Amino acid sequence: MIELYAITDNPGPPLPDVAPPLELVPIDGLAAVCTPAADAEVSAATLWRYEEVVEALMADRDLLPVRYGTRLDDERAVARAVNERRDELAAALDRVRGAVELSVRVAAAGTEQASPAAPHTSSGAEYLRLRSRAKASRDRAARALHEPLSALARASVEGRPRPPELFRATYLVERDAVESFAEEVAGLQEANAGLGILCTGPWPPYSFAEP
Amino acid sequence: MRDKLLHAPPDLDPFATDLPRIPDVLNRRVNADPESLEKGLAQLVLTLVELLRQLMERQALRRIDSGGLSDEQEERLGRTFMELDQRMAELREEFGLTEEDLNLDLGPLGRLL
Repeated sequence: MIELYAITDNPGPPLPDVAPPLELVPIDGLAAVCTPAADAEVSAATLWRYEEVVEALMADRDLLPVRYGTRLDDERAVARAVNERRDELAAALDRVRGAVELSVRVAAAGTEQASPAAPHTSSGAEYLRLRSRAKASRDRAARALHEPLSALARASVEGRPRPPELFRATYLVERDAVESFAEEVAGLQEANAGLGILCTGPWPPYSFAEP
Repeated sequence: MRDKLLHAPPDLDPFATDLPRIPDVLNRRVNADPESLEKGLAQLVLTLVELLRQLMERQALRRIDSGGLSDEQEERLGRTFMELDQRMAELREEFGLTEEDLNLDLGPLGRLL
C-alpha cells in the first residue's frame, strides 16, 4: 500500500529529506508525492506527522494536499487515479499557485457572552428570540470581519462556526501577503473589542484543493 | 509543534471545544465495522431532517421579524422547534453522530450548516 501526501508540479525542487523517504509518481506535468504506507495507528500524532511532511513540501513548491489517510495499492494505481483527473487537478493547482491557507475563527470576548447553540429555556417564544439573537450576532461578526479580510485574499471559504464560535472562514492568501493579512487581523481585533479573533497558518490549501 | 498563531486573543478556550473529539473522528474515518451501515443510513436520514428543520426555522424567524405572528403562535412555533432540536440531539447521540456529521456540501450554495 502507498500513502499519498500531495499533488505537485513535475519537475519540481528536490524532495525534502524525511523518513520514510518520499517518492514521486510522475503523471504528465504533475507528480504525486507518496510513501509506502506504514501500519501506524491512526492518532493525532500521525496526523501531525502527515502535516509536517506536507508543510515541508509546501516550503518550496505549490501543492494540492491529499486528504490524510488516502491510500492506494501501488504506483500504477496512483498514476491511474491522478491521470483520470489530470486536467482538473492541474487547474486546481493553478488556482492555489503561490498562495497559502490562513484560518480565522472568531468568538465573543470579555463580557459579551455568546448564546449557546440550543438555549435552555422553557418558553417557545424566548427560544426563538435567543436563536434569532445568536444568528444576528453571528451575522454581525461575519460582516465586520469577512469583507475586509476577503479583500486581501484570492479566495475564501466560510465554514460553520462551532458554538461558542461566531464565525470561521479560511482564506487563500498570497505567500508574500501573509504578514499584511495578519496586520489586518490585528487591526480588526483592535476595532472590535467584543470579539476574540484567532488567526492561524500558513497551512497547505486544504480548503481550496477540491476542484 | 511549530508556531502557527498569527494572531491570538488572550482567551483561547472558546476555540478548543472540538479538541476532545479528534481521536473519535480519526477512528471513525478509518475503522469500518458492521454497525457503520446502520449509522450511515441514520446519518443520511438525520441530515435530511436537519435540512428541513433549518429551512423551517429560518422561515419562522423571518415571519417573527416581520411581525406577522400572534404571541400565541410564536410560543407554539418556538416550542415545536425547541422540542425538535432536543429530539435531534437525542437521536444524534443514539447513533454516535455529531452536528458536523449532519453537514452537507451543497456545492455552489455552500454548506448546509
